[in-house]
Amino acid sequence: MKNIADFGMDTITMAGTLPAKLAAVRDAGFGQIMLSARDLTGHDAGVDAAVAAVRASGLRVTGFQVLRDFEGLSGHLHEYKVDVARSMLAMCAALGCRVLLACSSASPHASTDPDAIAHDLRKLAMLALPLQIKVAFEGLSWGRTINEYTQAWDVVCRADMPNLGIGIDSYHVFATQTPLDALQDVDPDKILLVQLSDFMWNEVRTPEERIDTARHFRVFPGEGVHSAMLVDLVRRLDRLGYRGDYSFEVFNDDYQQMPQATVAARARRSALWLAEDILRRSVPLPGEMRLRNEMRNPTT
Amino acid sequence: MTLATTREAIGEAPNPLGLEGLEFVEYETTKPQALGQVLETMGFHPVARHRSREVLLYRQGDMNIVVNAHHATDETPVLSAFALRVRDAAAAYQRAVDRGAWPVPADVKPMELHIPAIHGVGSSRIYFVDRWREFSIWDVDFVPIPTVEKRPPAVAGMHWFGLVQYIGLGRMEDWTEFYAELFGWQPLPDERRFGILPSGRLLQSPDGLMLQLIEPEPDAFEAEHEELLQRVGFGVSDVLAAVKELRGRGVEFVESEKVHSESRGAVTRTQLGSVMFELVKKA
Repeated sequence: MKNIADFGMDTITMAGTLPAKLAAVRDAGFGQIMLSARDLTGHDAGVDAAVAAVRASGLRVTGFQVLRDFEGLSGHLHEYKVDVARSMLAMCAALGCRVLLACSSASPHASTDPDAIAHDLRKLAMLALPLQIKVAFEGLSWGRTINEYTQAWDVVCRADMPNLGIGIDSYHVFATQTPLDALQDVDPDKILLVQLSDFMWNEVRTPEERIDTARHFRVFPGEGVHSAMLVDLVRRLDRLGYRGDYSFEVFNDDYQQMPQATVAARARRSALWLAEDILRRSVPLPGEMRLRNEMRNPTT
Repeated sequence: MTLATTREAIGEAPNPLGLEGLEFVEYETTKPQALGQVLETMGFHPVARHRSREVLLYRQGDMNIVVNAHHATDETPVLSAFALRVRDAAAAYQRAVDRGAWPVPADVKPMELHIPAIHGVGSSRIYFVDRWREFSIWDVDFVPIPTVEKRPPAVAGMHWFGLVQYIGLGRMEDWTEFYAELFGWQPLPDERRFGILPSGRLLQSPDGLMLQLIEPEPDAFEAEHEELLQRVGFGVSDVLAAVKELRGRGVEFVESEKVHSESRGAVTRTQLGSVMFELVKKA
């Protein structure tokens, strides 16, 4: 039995309409999908129809992305971002999705004070709380103040909200070459999402190079040059006790020019490699309650 | 004015909002008369109606219950709101919104009060009221029903004890944090329990009001994970005397092997598919 239940694709990897992406991901054997706000706002028949299409697909929504540049702002900029956050959270809730991805600010207008950052993340988590949504805060490798998972973990601890945790994106970890040993300090229950991808060159030194590679040249795990590091990361997370989802966050211009089914087949190959060869998930984990909980559909 | 806060770290007062109890609890239903009958057996009297909407105010003692048919979509009554008495409603509202509460958009007709509110659990709302002493919100938006006693005494000395909220699985810490952050409510130690349905966690407001958070059983059906305000609790000094008096008025209580009226508390049988009340011995 092939068990890739812990793995999912991300809509940003493929070209085309939302229904085409949903069908391709489902047909490749995945049970979950990571959505972007644009999937809903860009849908021909509107946001409500997009939500209905996602629910009808039977796919679980891994997470909803992405709230950018939220933390560290003040005055009218802060109020503006709170409104943006409310709008994204409302869409996330409509999907029955339990995780909102927020990435660290790259804004030059944002404060660098970790307490101010933690204060805003706490408020964001409060906004998400009544909607049964958790906020996964991720350090972008070109973030102004927070650009490593270790720093993201630090401000999440400062913010100290039960529904606030971190998201780990392998791309950013490898870009900044942050040592994986520090994962030992992270509470696995506070890792709310893990995004995996690789790229084809060894180093990305400058912020510009990191942004360019991140947005155009990522590939699926197993297709790049950091396979050993990916294996190390996934095994460490597993040993740490992480039992959440792995989503393929693969931005790739070439994949935008290939049929969705072809791209989804590459994703499936990658998921099988990680699930079977690396994590040995040939059968479901015993006592698996998580899926059941995640499939609850909120009525509000 | 800012000297006290900039030069010395006094910290936040234990009751930052100046909370002083519940001003009202609201139910929504498209069958307000059916709910009204249930409330009347419990000792509430209709005392006033809203000037422009299909909304009735029921009262006994210091307790106000609003029955709202204006926004209702379902005949099964829903506990749709509670109102906190605070020192300064505008300040309490702004403080909550600054901390991440969702504001409820104002929806008032001319000459009516704008009572600020935030979103609570599920589809419920939490209002902030600071006019409740000599001059109240009821004097503005409501018209007294002629000839009825405006302040009927409470049956068996009943008064607000608290609210019970059902929460989703794994949501205990979330909701505990929500009420601590917004209102300064704190969890009580597990050994401090009241009434006959002591599961979950009790949060206590600085003014003494209780909120009980109850998670579903781990093997509960998916539908039982809905989050909502489930019931209200009334405090009484003598539970069994109160049960007797309410029985005389036609109220039925749950009397099973596991759950039955005793000196610690009692619970009424569910009416109209959703409405139940709890009596709790108040020390």
